[in-house]
Amino acid sequence: MTAITEDHTRRAMAKRDQWARNRTILLLLLPGAGYLLFFFGLPLLRTVVGSFTSLDGAFTFDLWVELFSEPVYIDGLFFSLWLAIAPTVVALVISVLLAALLQATFPGRRIFGALYRIPLVVPGIVAAFLVMVMLDRGGMLSRIAEPLGIDLPRMVRDEWGIGAILASTWKNIPFMTLIIGGAMSAINRDVLHAARTLGAGRLTVLLRIQLPLALPGISAAVLLTFISSLGSYAIPNLLGPAYPLPLSVHMYEQGFRRGNWPIVYAMGTLLSVAAIFVLLAYYSLIGRLTGSHARREARS
Amino acid sequence: MAGLSIRGLTKAFDQVRALDGVDLEVPDGQLVTLLGPSGCGKTTLLRSVAGITDPTEGGIWLGDRRIDGVPPERRNFGMVFQSYALFPHMSVFKNLAFGLEMRRLPRSEIRKRVAQALHLVDMEAMAGRLPRQLSGGQQQRVALARAIVIEPDVLLFDEPLSNLDAKLRDSLRDQLRALQRRLGVTSIYVTHDQVEAMALADEIVIMFSGEIVERGDPVSLYRRPIFRFTAEFLGRTNVIEARLDGDRCRLPWGDERSVENPGIDDPAGVAIRPEDIAISTANGSDPHGEIAERMFLGAGTNYVVDAGGVRVRVNVAGTQNDLIDIGTPVRLTPPKSLHLLRRGRHGSAEALA
Ligand SMILES: Nc1ncnc2c1ncn2[C@@H]1O[C@H](COP(=O)(O)OP(=O)(O)O)[C@@H](O)[C@H]1O
Ligand SMILES: [Mg+2]
Repeated sequence: MTAITEDHTRRAMAKRDQWARNRTILLLLLPGAGYLLFFFGLPLLRTVVGSFTSLDGAFTFDLWVELFSEPVYIDGLFFSLWLAIAPTVVALVISVLLAALLQATFPGRRIFGALYRIPLVVPGIVAAFLVMVMLDRGGMLSRIAEPLGIDLPRMVRDEWGIGAILASTWKNIPFMTLIIGGAMSAINRDVLHAARTLGAGRLTVLLRIQLPLALPGISAAVLLTFISSLGSYAIPNLLGPAYPLPLSVHMYEQGFRRGNWPIVYAMGTLLSVAAIFVLLAYYSLIGRLTGSHARREARS
Repeated sequence: MAGLSIRGLTKAFDQVRALDGVDLEVPDGQLVTLLGPSGCGKTTLLRSVAGITDPTEGGIWLGDRRIDGVPPERRNFGMVFQSYALFPHMSVFKNLAFGLEMRRLPRSEIRKRVAQALHLVDMEAMAGRLPRQLSGGQQQRVALARAIVIEPDVLLFDEPLSNLDAKLRDSLRDQLRALQRRLGVTSIYVTHDQVEAMALADEIVIMFSGEIVERGDPVSLYRRPIFRFTAEFLGRTNVIEARLDGDRCRLPWGDERSVENPGIDDPAGVAIRPEDIAISTANGSDPHGEIAERMFLGAGTNYVVDAGGVRVRVNVAGTQNDLIDIGTPVRLTPPKSLHLLRRGRHGSAEALA
């Protein structure tokens, strides 16, 4: 054999080996990847396909035209995002402070650490009723405020969805605190002490050391809260205004009341795409924040 | 700059008293090492000085300013931790700049001071690295630079070298000592390693169970400790129960020696450092005992001799001596005059060291 053909066969064999290896990897991945494809990919695909299929099974753009031409749905989309973003932001601020507080030792910390978790075991619909009992006209809070001459603003079924936002916030704080607190307690205590001895007060330590180091946990908490609030039905249905209705409520109405499944699929797809955009925006904001930090560092 | 005074410092946790009435003076510019077994309260003492832990009782003064109750960020003390405690998300430069940013120094000043500090620890080339891209020794040098760049009034070290391997530990220890001398910063250095303590300290403070056992400069503390605990914790020693008679004592194998400090309370025995005993084969004369164990260490040889019913450790330095076989009858020559140890409340440190 000449050197050239030898080299050629060697390369062909290497290629075949490569193939065999890739095939093995694919086979090994199949149980996990297959599971994901079957239980997540297929329903998602079904939803997207469904949004282009009319009731009698024909391909159509009508549903999307309807979504984007009816103000009910456009307003609904923005109201959905509002009802998801607002509680996420409020709960995030409170949870970060709570998680930082729980890192310290103080008298009664154990009891406090148990109490704040109560909303974890309260279902969304119960939370909604609790908020209603507290905040509605003639509810507990207004009965306390009235004799004091304070006139509370309308907070249940109000146009800003304050009641719904409060309920979602209340419900999500323990989740977020748990996740962010977990991320914070993984930080070496000496690192925090070092920052203190170098001249940083508690707030500076929180902002410059604890937050950046707990960022993966914070992002996970933001994601979970945002998605669960975006899809919640019971809370906006009970506490939200009659108009606009978030897409989750529209989906329920259209699907179960009217059997209009194609529009449900279209709304589901729209909501998912919007969620992806919001989260992309979140990550680019975080990237910008930490990136600008790194850039400043490189310059100095 | 000023010296540090600690008076009656006590820290009670739920279960234990980590500190029990500790008094300590660190003169201006000096380095005091706290030496003691693990759990004796060294870290608690250091953290109280730093302001990270609130003492239950007692006070701390810097010069004539009382500082306990001042939050750590306003004490201007530099601290170096066993775990390095660098900020993992910041570059070496940023780690050093942090303390200066807190002091609101102008950017150009920060850049200058960080560069100087990095130069002192020979880490200029690493300014852009993240801590995880450095070795343990490099991380600890950065931590040291971060503590000194703020020009602290007091430097606190909590076993800074104990996570490093032996060779690196020695070289870093020497660098650290030279740096502390040069800067002249009042320092407390915590360690459980007696060699480190002696190499670094102007004064060594021996601690046990939340209390100070005794203190002194390395030489006198090593040569003439008061308590058995100190003698055994600071290096190894033979504590031999000898029959006392005035200023003379009779050793178990029959020899008589004078005692340099007769008449002390509760004597535990005389101290004879293993390296202070000469050993020779009996060669027909009356033997004192025989070799029970032998350990060849290269730079020297350690023996255990069975003499008059007690086991005596003998270290022979040098490489040119003939090794003596196990079982050989030998004679022992301790120093002419021996030092008597007090039992104290601390007992023996043999099991701890
Ligand atoms: N936060 C704490 N809570 C309860 N006990 C503690 C705490 N910190 C230290 N201790 C106890 O105090 C004693 C002294 O600890 P420490 O100062 O860390 O000793 P060292 O540094 O000498 O090893 C130990 O018995 C330890 O268990
Ligand atoms: Mg310690």
